Amino acid sequence: MSEIDSLKGELQRLQEKALASFKNAADLNALQELRVTYLGKKGELTHVLKGVGKLPPQDRPVIGQFVNATKTALAEALDSAEALLAVKEKEQRIEAERIDITLSGRTSPRGALHPVQQGLNEMTAIFSQMGFEISEGPEIEDEFHNFDALNIPQEHPARAMHDTFFFEASDEQQAKLLRTHTSPVQIRAMKNCVESGGEPPLAVVAPGRVYRCDYDVTHSPMFHQVEVFKVDKDVSLAHLKGVLKHFLSAYFEKEIDIRLRPHYFPFTEPSAEVDIGCVFCAAKGCRVCKGSGWVEVLGSGMIHPNVLKSVGIDSEIYSGFAFGLGVERLVMLKHGIPDLRLFFENDMRFLRRMGVSK
Amino acid sequence: MKIPFSWLKEHVFFKQSVQQVADDLVRLGHEVESIEQPRSAVKGVRVGHILSMESHPDADKLHLLNIDIAEDEPLGIVCGASNMAVGDKIPVATVGTSLPNGMKIKKGKIRGQVSFGMCCSEAELGLAEDAAGLLILPTDAPIGMEVGEYLALEEAVLDLDITPNRGDCMSARGLARDLAADYDLPLINAGDDDVAVDGAVAVPSVQVSASDDCPLYMARRIEGVSVADSPDWMQARLIAAGQRPVNGVVDVLNYTMLDLGQPMHAFDADTLSGDICVRATQAGESFKALDGRDIALHAGNVVIADDAKVIALAGIMGSEDTGVTEKTTNIILESAAFRAALISTTRRTYGLVSESSMRFERGVDPAMIAVAMNQASTMIMDLFGGKASDISVTGDVEGLVKAKTIHIDMQRIESRLGIDVPEKFDDVLSRMGFGIQRDGNSLTVDVPSHRHDVSLFEDISEEYARVIGFDAIPEVLPSLATINPRKVDTAISSAVELGFVQVINYAFISADEQRLFVEDDGKDLVLQNPISADMSVMRRSVWTGLLNTAKYNMNRQQAGVALVEQGRIYAAIDANNPNEEHRETNVIAWLMAGELESDTWYGKARKADFFDLKGAVESWLSNRGLTARFMADDEALGLQAGQTAKVFVGKSVVGYVGKVDTDLADGFDIDADVFVAQVNLDALHKGKTLKFQPIPEFPSIERDLVFLFERGTESEAVLQTAKRAAGQSCIDVRIFDLYDGKGVPEGKVSLGIRFALQDAKRTLTQEDSDKAMQTIIDAVVRKFNAELRG
Repeated sequence: MSEIDSLKGELQRLQEKALASFKNAADLNALQELRVTYLGKKGELTHVLKGVGKLPPQDRPVIGQFVNATKTALAEALDSAEALLAVKEKEQRIEAERIDITLSGRTSPRGALHPVQQGLNEMTAIFSQMGFEISEGPEIEDEFHNFDALNIPQEHPARAMHDTFFFEASDEQQAKLLRTHTSPVQIRAMKNCVESGGEPPLAVVAPGRVYRCDYDVTHSPMFHQVEVFKVDKDVSLAHLKGVLKHFLSAYFEKEIDIRLRPHYFPFTEPSAEVDIGCVFCAAKGCRVCKGSGWVEVLGSGMIHPNVLKSVGIDSEIYSGFAFGLGVERLVMLKHGIPDLRLFFENDMRFLRRMGVSK
Repeated sequence: MKIPFSWLKEHVFFKQSVQQVADDLVRLGHEVESIEQPRSAVKGVRVGHILSMESHPDADKLHLLNIDIAEDEPLGIVCGASNMAVGDKIPVATVGTSLPNGMKIKKGKIRGQVSFGMCCSEAELGLAEDAAGLLILPTDAPIGMEVGEYLALEEAVLDLDITPNRGDCMSARGLARDLAADYDLPLINAGDDDVAVDGAVAVPSVQVSASDDCPLYMARRIEGVSVADSPDWMQARLIAAGQRPVNGVVDVLNYTMLDLGQPMHAFDADTLSGDICVRATQAGESFKALDGRDIALHAGNVVIADDAKVIALAGIMGSEDTGVTEKTTNIILESAAFRAALISTTRRTYGLVSESSMRFERGVDPAMIAVAMNQASTMIMDLFGGKASDISVTGDVEGLVKAKTIHIDMQRIESRLGIDVPEKFDDVLSRMGFGIQRDGNSLTVDVPSHRHDVSLFEDISEEYARVIGFDAIPEVLPSLATINPRKVDTAISSAVELGFVQVINYAFISADEQRLFVEDDGKDLVLQNPISADMSVMRRSVWTGLLNTAKYNMNRQQAGVALVEQGRIYAAIDANNPNEEHRETNVIAWLMAGELESDTWYGKARKADFFDLKGAVESWLSNRGLTARFMADDEALGLQAGQTAKVFVGKSVVGYVGKVDTDLADGFDIDADVFVAQVNLDALHKGKTLKFQPIPEFPSIERDLVFLFERGTESEAVLQTAKRAAGQSCIDVRIFDLYDGKGVPEGKVSLGIRFALQDAKRTLTQEDSDKAMQTIIDAVVRKFNAELRG
């Protein structure tokens, strides 16, 4: 056997041994060690290469080629073993890192907007988008703004129906009161406009708290109203109906049928109570609408000429519509809340259920 | 107001169903609150004849009855009542009947004995509030007949909510007039029969000095009546209409009022002395009302009086001693007009209300004064005998019933309603009593005497809207000018995003609770007529409401609460004169107590402390573009010294954060530390509009220093000193560590300070940071007598 054959045989064995050991390498570290063992500067292949120097010069290129081929084969085998192991190791790591994704997320405590606030926000937003300006007024009022200017004179029977809270006052003073409705804002906004030299058109939405001396299952001594009015030339009852229909449909997020019934309010003429097709039973008749298919939601009408007169607006030139809606009532209807008292008990279980922060 | 359906039909012959009539009344502006159906409510209850009666073998108090209801077999019924006897006629609810109280009659066994129905009392039939035993029917009641039919129970009774402007509709006739006009049917004439007058009976002598308040007064004397109960049919109607029968004469007057709308009164003539005067009261007079109250009258009210005493408060109530009783033989009837505003003011002054005052203050039809007088006189004499005098009339009948005339531009009505008005609707108004003349666009309207509420163009526009029907008016969106929308107030939603639950409490609290956080300085606003003492003073702090909410919820298994409320607080400006001027201040207030979060798989529950709430307030302010400073305040009422701070924005105090005094929190049953904060929204200026700043080009350097300080050293002062010392390139300085445990001497505290340096023009060097560190060390050590730890 020639030198060259023996060297070839040695390389052949080395390659076989190496490839087998690569296959059995347990991890990337072991593989790295094998790379050093076989291909390192002091590795086995280098060791074999040292034997090449003893060969006769004409044989050297032959064996050199052979050595290079072996080296390439080993390097390639190492690379692919490494790649395989890397995939395997990643798979193992992924498996090891597996978590229970059904555990709850890390959250910060959730707040909740009061449902009445939500209602107020939604309602004022709708009117604001329709071009009504937001206005507010004092909750402690005088008789002029709450009654007289609204065409409710002292001896008027409607005044008694308002169940007014009065403040203590000395005999000669006119007692202040807690406003019984948001209509005084109508007076303030119109007066403000006229006194600052302006004139209609005027379109205002006035949300706020109001108070009535009435406390039972269906009455709260404090509740919320939104007052809406518009004064301009040629404002008609048809406009009132148009705005009501648009608003109610927007608020309930579906087409709402409305029905106006003639009614009496001192501050409007004509006056109408507004019913909507019952949102619970699709107007088929249920407990909420007492079988009628209709639910009363608000009072409305064309602003009484005496009201316009009290703020110095000429009712021969201008007319207007106005309505006041009970916020709690609409929120109860929209969300199916059965009891008014829930709003003021402030039970966290109710508020968190109903509250969305938006 | 309750009105039996059958009563309406006496004034107009219509064929419409009860439901149809109810709907039409609603369309015309008369709200129908409910419809009772007394007859069909007792359908299945029949007249039974007791054939035999034995004791129940196993129950002392029960009886076994055999009852004939004109069927093939008599019914065996077990009955617990004891007021019946063999031969009595009684109402029997047969199997399958539903009674007004909701009870369903089934065949059943009672103590082993089968019962095929139930014998009923008046209460069970819905005819009375309560009853002692079975309703025993007259002996001639036809066996087997429906009891509802036999008792002539009303087919339907409408419960109406008549609006305050329509006094004319507080009667069968008034409502019928609207219906007749709507249905185009004639209104049947009221019984305006001539009364057979006996010249021998003296006409009452009447003087009216208060003629402005009483423009018309009619009186008539009827002698020799024998007052008995009113007939059953009348009593039944009164009861159905919600009135209590009193005696024959009073019942006739109430009946007439419900029928025609004119309130009347009857005096026992023998209790009066001298003339009848309608006059203003003088100071010192008093009046014994029908309800037994002695009322001291103010001067200037209007009363009916005889020579000696006040016999009635005009239009409101007669006196107890001069009313008609069973013993009365001679009566004086009154039918009059009184000024609406007078009645309203007077009855409110004395807290009185009557069927009469309700009508007068809403306005009654003067045309009915004489009609009612005659109808009532006739009824009284027909029922109870007697001889009538002529009527004494004081006042101007003609002037009272004269129509007002209004001239109107028809186009204006059409523009106001947003719809064309065809002439056929003029006819409907004519039938309602209006005189209508249309000539092109010019409209002339004569307003009838019963319509006190109509005097303006707008009133006529409403009449047209009513008869056209609001449904016919189209829905049109008006053109609206574009406005400058006000910025949405984010105060509350921003707090909610920080994890707080918004609550809404009443604005009034108890006087005691007011004192928890606000000294008594005379500026409380106190309600004259509160719901209760607990709701009698306008709040000057929102915290009491929040504490009550915390209590309510922590009593209901909530381990912790984080609450926020936005609303107003109220106070007088001048303590000497709280009613004069006041201020309403818009505030936002927070409360935190107990566990912030419950235990989770990633962390343990933690209890709220001062810094949780301070942080929330800081974040909330910073969301508005505002930076707050906090200064310790040991003086705040109700808050614990050493854990309370005033909140400054700029130079002004805008609020407080603090721990609620523990005794105070105990008073609310809250078993946790409670922290509250409040910020005055009106005191906050708008945050600045943000301006662009270039992103730094060069890296920053961070370095840490740890010092030992005396306990009680305020960290904010340390940071300020450090920052000033570090110079312009210092972009941030903060406390990264706080330690006072092992290794730190008693009375000292270790604070770690981290500062960051950055320059806009170059990269800072080790040398720069060493220099800054040394100046900080020097300044802090000098100023606070601190000791550098590392």
